[in-house]
Amino acid sequence: MANNEKTIEIEVLRYRPEEDDKPFLQSFKVPFTDDMSVLQGVQYIKDYLDGSVSFRWSCRMAICGSCGMMINGVPKLSCKTFLREYYPGKITLEALKHFPIEKDLVIDLSDFIGKLESIKPYIVPDAPRALEEGEYLQTPRQLDRIAQFSSCINCMLCYAACPQYGLKPEYLGPAAIALLHRYNEDNRDSAKAERMQLLNAHEGVWGCTLVGYCSEVCPKDVDPAAAINRNKVNSTIDYLLRFVAPRGGN
Amino acid sequence: MDTIKTDIVIVGGGGAGLRAAIAAAEKDPGQCIALVSKVYPMRSHTVAAEGGAAAVTQPHDNLEYHFNDTVAGGDWLCEQDVVEYFVAHAHEELVQMEHWGCPWNRKEDGHINVRAFGGMKIERTWFAADKTGFHMLHTLFQTSIKYPSIKRFDEYFCADIVVDEGRAQGVVVIEIATGRICFIQAKAIVLATGGAGRVFRENTNGGIVTGDGMALAYRRGVALRDMEFMQYHPTCMPGTGLLFTEACRGEGGYLLNKDGYRFLEDYGLGPPSPEPRNKFMELGPRDRVSQAIWHEKQKGRTIDNPHGQVVHLDMRHLGEKKLRERLPQIYELAEEYMGIDPAHEPIPVLPGVHYTMGGIETDGRTATNLPGLYAVGECASVGIHGANRLGSNSLVELCVFGKVAGEEATQFVKTTSNSPTGTLERQASEIGNRLRGLVDNPSGKERIAVIRSEMAKSMEDGCGIYRTEAGMRATCDKLAELKQRYRSINIEDKSSAWNTEWLLAIELGYLLEVAETIASSALNRKESRGSHQRLEGLEQRDDQNYLKHTLARYAGEGPPKIEYSPVKITKLEPGIRAYGEAGEKAEAERKKKKEAAHGK
Amino acid sequence: MSTRKPYVRPMTGWWLKNPVYIRYILRESTAVFVGIYAVILLIGLIRLSSGEAAWNGWIDAMRSPGAILFHCVALGAAVYHAITWFAVAPKVMPPLYFKGEKVPVEKLVTAQYILAGVIYLVLLGLILWS
Ligand SMILES: Cc1cc2nc3c(=O)[nH]c(=O)nc-3n(C[C@H](O)[C@H](O)[C@H](O)COP(=O)(O)OP(=O)(O)OC[C@H]3O[C@@H](n4cnc5c(N)ncnc54)[C@H](O)[C@@H]3O)c2cc1C
Ligand code: SF4
Ligand code: FES
Repeated sequence: MANNEKTIEIEVLRYRPEEDDKPFLQSFKVPFTDDMSVLQGVQYIKDYLDGSVSFRWSCRMAICGSCGMMINGVPKLSCKTFLREYYPGKITLEALKHFPIEKDLVIDLSDFIGKLESIKPYIVPDAPRALEEGEYLQTPRQLDRIAQFSSCINCMLCYAACPQYGLKPEYLGPAAIALLHRYNEDNRDSAKAERMQLLNAHEGVWGCTLVGYCSEVCPKDVDPAAAINRNKVNSTIDYLLRFVAPRGGN
Repeated sequence: MDTIKTDIVIVGGGGAGLRAAIAAAEKDPGQCIALVSKVYPMRSHTVAAEGGAAAVTQPHDNLEYHFNDTVAGGDWLCEQDVVEYFVAHAHEELVQMEHWGCPWNRKEDGHINVRAFGGMKIERTWFAADKTGFHMLHTLFQTSIKYPSIKRFDEYFCADIVVDEGRAQGVVVIEIATGRICFIQAKAIVLATGGAGRVFRENTNGGIVTGDGMALAYRRGVALRDMEFMQYHPTCMPGTGLLFTEACRGEGGYLLNKDGYRFLEDYGLGPPSPEPRNKFMELGPRDRVSQAIWHEKQKGRTIDNPHGQVVHLDMRHLGEKKLRERLPQIYELAEEYMGIDPAHEPIPVLPGVHYTMGGIETDGRTATNLPGLYAVGECASVGIHGANRLGSNSLVELCVFGKVAGEEATQFVKTTSNSPTGTLERQASEIGNRLRGLVDNPSGKERIAVIRSEMAKSMEDGCGIYRTEAGMRATCDKLAELKQRYRSINIEDKSSAWNTEWLLAIELGYLLEVAETIASSALNRKESRGSHQRLEGLEQRDDQNYLKHTLARYAGEGPPKIEYSPVKITKLEPGIRAYGEAGEKAEAERKKKKEAAHGK
Repeated sequence: MSTRKPYVRPMTGWWLKNPVYIRYILRESTAVFVGIYAVILLIGLIRLSSGEAAWNGWIDAMRSPGAILFHCVALGAAVYHAITWFAVAPKVMPPLYFKGEKVPVEKLVTAQYILAGVIYLVLLGLILWS
């Protein structure tokens, strides 16, 4: 590296479950160049300053969804946030909000995984189709209806942005509802009725009070708030329809 | 020691591992399948694949073309019977992905759309924007949830294979959240741990792509085949190595040198045309294009960049609308990581290590020579990529052979039984003690990061795009030294829960092992073929002596023992590997010869 | 014993910790003003039904500086609420297509303002005309 090297202060909210009762801030001075991401900054800390700092990462290109953290209070992907944006100020890093901290910047996301599994995130076809019959037809327009909602990388930034999730962890939450919507809107699927029950519940779309921050922080323009609020409409229609034409028991 | 009893354990939750798990669950819903992955499956590096997946789709295309492209693209080091199976099953597997919900791009009438890709004679690459791997991986992961017999062990790190009575009988894993070491007993094991790109410095791979499965199998006596063949992708981001997919060129992007000249014309890939033409110019195979960039650099015709010598990927003529629609992620990478608007500026690019052609030696049905052990995906060498993989062949490989692996393992489970659990547990707990010993190493003084970066640098210096005898020897010596120093590795973090430093140390051990097989295999192949290019009078392919696979075998502490095995040729005799106009001529001649032979 | 000990951070005072949340709370609290305004109107109706004197008393009360101030604040609150609502309304609707292209969000938002303006003018016209 060049000798006119700049350094930036990075504070990390540490929590070591085997030693600490509660988290504390630890500060590091990190040399950096203009093209370095926040992730590279934390990697530098781990590699050369304190090997015990723990965090998740892999792809470095904003697609694997591992590296989310609170960067100066805002949920972001650390691999696509750059140190230069904060210099000469300091950066404070914290594990994603609203999730339990396992260690340092690592959260426990098993709650979300459970929710993802619960929404039947797969195509349930009307009648199974043999491979020899080839692909289902889907026009670009039909694809467009699901394209944005199928771009979710499960990075959990939206949950860290959602105070309702922080207050009521039962709430299904933005990404899970966006994914549910993606399958409901897919012309190849026929399990909408079953998924609607999840949405109609109190922990479903009605857990949302339209703070709208989830869509603002989403790094992939999924716009989960749109999925949630469109389904408030759907859920209401579904509710009314049940008075008009009650469905048989299941 | 906690023991978990299963029928099959699959190590790896990427495309290959998930496809294998689903196949096993469909074949026999009654068996218990453990799916172990050191990251949540959807974080696996399959997620990063951008361009697409190849299968013969259009009426004017046929299996033979795909076969010829693959074998010639691999510079004749492919197992041709396996390639035949591969091309024949590619299409149905992609249709299967479609049935499971993969959002493939479509034509107006609702049918699948295909795009052009390097080294492919006809457009046959299925794509989901420029996030094909992402969509395939999430589709597979979400579909796998349907099968109750797949029990996932997310964020469990596989640290060893337990072998008894000459059979693989389980794996030792670390539960990352707690640091607890467990033994997962199984009658069959499928390794699907991905490639080893992280042995190099400038690479397109994720941090988890550390060759774990390769090193594990290797230490257990299974050979690593053709490891010298590492693919350099010509268009990567300077500094980080992040990938700009080949689809950039498939959609019509140009490569320019510092004079704004489409230099590939000078390297047997011409003549140029304004529209992309399959197997010409920018759509030549990756090894050739990367090598051309290297030559441009020697001639001083590249462009200075803080991160090295670069050329330009120019897509300005494609226009913002098309770029946003077909290559949205590329647009985002250029804008956010480099501050470049590709609709108005060319993108500086340079070659970076991308793909591990070699891997764990298997037969055409994914079985290794250790009974009970299977390998599939980038960690395996099933024989379809030879000396150079064609882009978009490997995502399909995950599906085609993932399915084979799942079914073969299921079959094997029915014919075998485990040794007494006590015996296996004893072995597992010895392994556990050794692993934990790494943390408590009293002689620890070496920093993980220092050894890792010295290794990566040395690999780049000695085993890069062009290789010299002295360079490779120096790398071999360096690796021996680093392995020595690795013994006194220091882990500052002594805790158990989420001790990622401990895992990094174990991974570094794998990396060093794999690096050594690459360097030794390269040193011993005294010819140039595909991605293995030598200087000093060895610039030509030498079929007489080297139309054979390299096998690197574990030989204790030192470097591997290098052996060779024959290459299976069925339909396509070794010929001239040419692209551009020369390629068309060569193909016409091949055809003529074939017709003459038939005429007789 | 497990080495895990997940730490759950408290939510106390969450709404003060981020400008977005403050704006959200502000938006929600505008409902209070709109609510009070509705109650005042309701009282006016009751007064109207209980004779002319009562009605005039209510009218006088409405002319007091306090009442005028309140109405200004309530108007401000209602406008703020409307703006935030216009901004999120496109999220609630399924995507609209025009000649095969998705109608962009900004256009939808603008359309709402135009619509609101037209309704306002029509109402104004009606009042002036009567
Ligand atoms: C940037 C990029 C773009 C690409 N684009 C294309 C393309 O367009 N077309 C194409 O055909 N190919 C492409 N490829 C290649 C292709 O994506 C990969 O070869 C393929 O995805 C590898 O899949 P896999 O399942 O073998 O491994 P991976 O997806 O890498 O998965 C490996 C799995 O193994 C697990 N694992 C590893 N070690 C351990 C351990 N010790 N313990 C537990 N679990 C472990 C990991 O957690 C992970 O789940 C691209 C590759 C890259 C890097
Ligand atoms: S919806 Fe957006 S923010 Fe939420 S998990 Fe998905 S990609 Fe991340
Ligand atoms: S490291 Fe994969 S999203 Fe940031």
